Amino acid sequence: MKKIKPHGCIEKSDKNGEIFLPMGHYAIINCKKRINNVDPKISIYGLGSCIALILFDNKNNVSGMSHILLPKSRQNKTINFPHKYADLSAKLLIQELINHGAMRKNIKAIIVGGSKIFDLDENFMGINNTEAIKKELEKLEIKIIGENTGGSEGRAVIFDTKDFSVYVKSTRESNFKKITS
Amino acid sequence: MNDSVNIKLTQDQLDMLKELGNIGSGHAITALSKLISGKIEVSLTSADIISFWKVPDLFVNPYVDMVGIFSDIPFNSDLAIIQIFTKESILNLINILSDFNKISIEDLKSIDDLDDFSCSIIAEIGSILSGHYTNALADLLSTKLVPNVPKIAIDTVNAILEGIIAKYSQISDLMIVINTKLTVSDINLEGTICLIPSINILKRLFNILNLKYDLNL
Repeated sequence: MKKIKPHGCIEKSDKNGEIFLPMGHYAIINCKKRINNVDPKISIYGLGSCIALILFDNKNNVSGMSHILLPKSRQNKTINFPHKYADLSAKLLIQELINHGAMRKNIKAIIVGGSKIFDLDENFMGINNTEAIKKELEKLEIKIIGENTGGSEGRAVIFDTKDFSVYVKSTRESNFKKITS
Repeated sequence: MNDSVNIKLTQDQLDMLKELGNIGSGHAITALSKLISGKIEVSLTSADIISFWKVPDLFVNPYVDMVGIFSDIPFNSDLAIIQIFTKESILNLINILSDFNKISIEDLKSIDDLDDFSCSIIAEIGSILSGHYTNALADLLSTKLVPNVPKIAIDTVNAILEGIIAKYSQISDLMIVINTKLTVSDINLEGTICLIPSINILKRLFNILNLKYDLNL
């Protein structure tokens, strides 16, 4: 049995109500935890081969996001940053959402990221990450309602917890675009 | 059982890594200064043991677009050299080394915006720097280190580093980053050469240098 010590929950937002999510970290926002009555935005600037996993329950107003680096955790080890791994992050983030009042059947997912920055033959990190998270979400029966994955450029992603909309901009583009399902 | 390999390095060992970085980057920078016949100012190399998620913070602004040149060195286990330059620096270098540069900094958003000739100049500069860096290390360690052909990307530093961080933080939450900053004020060149050894290679390094180590592998 894996022993999991969860680390890496970001709770504080900056004065504009934005939460910057570093690698291997996650954030949960529920309606009771509004800071100064502002709905925080969770954001990652410079998302490369990593995946931003966004989960939310719009009926109960709970949302979460994690910044995943690797497809699979290694067995039988203590893990300090479970949200580094796609398989653990999906499970734990769903659990956290439920702990904060979400209903499992209402949870929907949006995935962003998984690009291939350096054009190396053996560089499959982004593709592997994307496949791993999709497989995991399918196994957990969570519906992916939107995605923006692959390609060869970095992305910036902003998740507005007010209306559960996700905005993505690739490094080359100058404007953010909303992900639609 | 602990997933995160505990890296405990003494000050001596950190100094040794710093020295490796100094020697390597010294050779690389001498080569670059010959190429551009200009004086290059180098800041002291720093060697850090750092949590994987803090690695982008080692760079001045991880959210600004930069040019990244990545070369990995197959050596039983892994060793990577990443060079990160501002876009302006790379354009200035291309200007010095070739006559026809038509692209302005605003238009340089991805590697596809550069013509083949400019791309190969960047790759060549990357090759020279990483080649001299590794040659110096190989001499010191009496082994053979040959870097692969470098790959170039223009993106935010964070995005450039993510794939590399993912690869090197698979066995440990901690990473070793040996960083050298270089500047040429004459031509506005600013960059960082960064050496990232995997934990396995660190063991070999310490063995070769006959240093005792405490790596909980």
